[in-house]
Amino acid sequence: MIVAHVRGHRVRAEALDEHAQASWLHRIDARAKLVGILGFVIICALMTNSMLIFSSLVLSVLFAGLSQIPGKHLVKAYLGALPFILIASVSVSAFSGPERGLDMWGRTSACVIPLLVLASGTETYELFSGLRRLHMPTLIATLLMLTYKYLLLMSEEMARMSIARRARGFRPGKSLLDRYGLSVLSYTAGMIFVRSSDRGERSYEGLRARGFRKEFPIWSSSRIGVPDISFMAVFLVLSVALVSLQLGVVL
Amino acid sequence: MHIPDGLMDPVVALIGWAEFVIVIGVTLLILRKRIKEKDLPRVAVLSAGIFVAQMLNFPVGGGTTGHLIGGALFAIMAGPLLAMVGMTVILLIQAMMFGDGGITALGLNALNMAIIAPLSGWGIYHMLNQMSFGNRKSDAGRTKSFWDSIPVACSAWASVFLAACACAAELSVSYAISGGRYGIAAPVSIPAVLGYHAVIGVGEAAITVGILAYINSVASKSPSRTSGDGKTVIRLGRTDPSKTIWAAVAILIVFALALPLYFVYAREGRDGLEQTMDDANVQEGSPVLTAPFSYGENYFAALFMGIVGFVVVALLCSGTIRLLGRGHRPE
Amino acid sequence: MKALDTMSLTYSYDDGTLALKDLSISVDEGEKVAIVGPNGAGKSTLLHLIAGFRMPFQGDVFVDGLKLEVSTADDVRKKLGLLFQDPDDQIFMPTVEEDVAFGPRNLKLDDVEGRTLKAMRSTGTDHLAKRRPHRLSYGMKKRVAIAGILAMDPEILLLDEPTSGLDPRSRAELVSFLKGMSRTMLIATHDLDAAAEIADRLVVLNISQVAEGTMRELVSERGLLEGAGLEIPQVSKLFESIRSSGFSVESVPVTMDQAAAEFGRTVERERRKNASNR
Repeated sequence: MIVAHVRGHRVRAEALDEHAQASWLHRIDARAKLVGILGFVIICALMTNSMLIFSSLVLSVLFAGLSQIPGKHLVKAYLGALPFILIASVSVSAFSGPERGLDMWGRTSACVIPLLVLASGTETYELFSGLRRLHMPTLIATLLMLTYKYLLLMSEEMARMSIARRARGFRPGKSLLDRYGLSVLSYTAGMIFVRSSDRGERSYEGLRARGFRKEFPIWSSSRIGVPDISFMAVFLVLSVALVSLQLGVVL
Repeated sequence: MHIPDGLMDPVVALIGWAEFVIVIGVTLLILRKRIKEKDLPRVAVLSAGIFVAQMLNFPVGGGTTGHLIGGALFAIMAGPLLAMVGMTVILLIQAMMFGDGGITALGLNALNMAIIAPLSGWGIYHMLNQMSFGNRKSDAGRTKSFWDSIPVACSAWASVFLAACACAAELSVSYAISGGRYGIAAPVSIPAVLGYHAVIGVGEAAITVGILAYINSVASKSPSRTSGDGKTVIRLGRTDPSKTIWAAVAILIVFALALPLYFVYAREGRDGLEQTMDDANVQEGSPVLTAPFSYGENYFAALFMGIVGFVVVALLCSGTIRLLGRGHRPE
Repeated sequence: MKALDTMSLTYSYDDGTLALKDLSISVDEGEKVAIVGPNGAGKSTLLHLIAGFRMPFQGDVFVDGLKLEVSTADDVRKKLGLLFQDPDDQIFMPTVEEDVAFGPRNLKLDDVEGRTLKAMRSTGTDHLAKRRPHRLSYGMKKRVAIAGILAMDPEILLLDEPTSGLDPRSRAELVSFLKGMSRTMLIATHDLDAAAEIADRLVVLNISQVAEGTMRELVSERGLLEGAGLEIPQVSKLFESIRSSGFSVESVPVTMDQAAAEFGRTVERERRKNASNR
């Protein structure tokens, strides 16, 4: 289980994979999901017309709604991304007026929501496998898998240590000037490193003992089927529509 | 500093992707020949570790918190090439699994945090080390004395600050060339981003020093490592004069990366900014800052020139010191 | 040709401490040999060395006739199935099924699905096929790890403390599982009760070889095992204590079955003694 603090909000990686099982998204080939959703997000990022931004936001939310992923989870994830989005929107409002500010908020939200759905609706290994089959460089693919595995190990370690720290009365300080707090923090981090590097080394030996050599074998050999193609087609149509409308408006 | 999609002007984002692909592409080509199998778990552990370390929020006063980027730490521990790849992996996981940082923005995020931060951190670290220890070989990252930790702290702070400069530049240029549709205006983005990260950088410096100190103290006391090739997993690079040249190259690369952005800005920025000024004046009742506007353009240029100047001076200094140091080498 | 052969094997850790000294161990095909010794004796190191993870070393190691060297390490590993002490060090994939298939897939063996299924069936984990390994209990994880090794169909199994950390029931199941398997095995353990049940022969190790023989032989040599920092099996302790109380125990048993048999015989002897005393 990975507990991440995405700007202060705890998001659990295992919970992500759980939701994946619940949704129909789970059954779509990872490559199709990646191509379709990422393509759509790219198009959303290009929108500058207010009406189109609004439409793309509506489409994103609709997609999220249809995805069968628990709303509470998506909302929490969205809240994690919100601070930076808000800062950008507010400062744009200050300079160019509230309409532009709203555009900024709408556009960044429309882009981040499908990404969150993709992340929640796909098993992590499937995602990596999909990236791999889309010709991501092998070294990066291998490192992704290994890093993810070690993350799982380390998160457990960290959770245990955090509890151990609190059990001994440690409370984080108020400011950067709290040298004791900072030093405990960095010593904790250092300890995690050392323990995990031992673990990581043993883990790697475990892999090599089972024949692993520099590259993970591609394990899912699913083929692209009709549902996958329809999925991509829907996003393609929407993207093309948005782009042509935008060009039409601009021209 | 994870930039979401839809914030930056598409042209800026595209430049980010282009630079990212080129730099990482070259890095991967070099690594393909040089990487050894035992490097794989080492880098993955570091990536995982720094990912986790990034989650440690530290308070910066005033109720806000900051967190570690880890680019300098990674580079000091594993060298610049592996650090760039390792940081990229971290960003990929964050973007794909948590939606932290978009995909159109991935190029820029990687540029800032996975290329500029490690390269500048590593470069400055080795140059400073060279300047202070020019006459003797020292183990990198060794922080047994206060003076040893200065290069680490400085390079860590600088890595954050330079990445922030890049981010601020990207935001300002996005704003300027898109007529205010993308990005954040310079008078806001530059002080805010730089100010915030100047403070965060202190935390990063402290934590980086702390982590390296801990690892060094543990590594020297730890019982025999039973790995087959007899080397400890966390092995910090050694400082030697030849690295200084590469360090300088690294820093120059960092600044070269800014050039396309600057040209784009110079070509289109002026019109965009004037456009925005018109927008601002036309708005009624909304809080508009008019006075700083005339400095908007100058902010960015001044910043850029200032940094270039600093680097040139630093290179001159280090070169001079080495020349002087050669005469005093005790051998 | 022996399945496994080491000759004058010597190995030191990085800091110079000696880990193994002048070991010459051989294992015949189909034989099950247990390496026993206290903690720090080098048992784990020995297994990892044979699997090619601790180089360089002095002496020779031959696995199925192939000499272990840097260049042959991968090929040697193909013949071996190394089971780590901590299953989490070996389990990697998101589902049990995929994890068991990991080995055969890496080695590019044929009929990956068939092997996977067979391995899961023989370890009783086929009902867990789609489950996530890191949610399972420790005992089940061990089984999954074993399945992963068996799926590669290695000639020799190297088991590092297989019974450690298991609850009594799981341990008993594992012991009978290993006992019933007909494969060449080298087991490193300090669980002498398990070693007694499973192994044909034991090697007592404390950096260098202290003794060798069947469990019965080792137990009969007074103080040998204790001197090596080990505790003799429970049943043996019991019967030694019975013997010192004056009962006519002929040979000290080392397993439960032997104990039951010996008990019967002792009772018989006692009865005859009493009968002849009257």
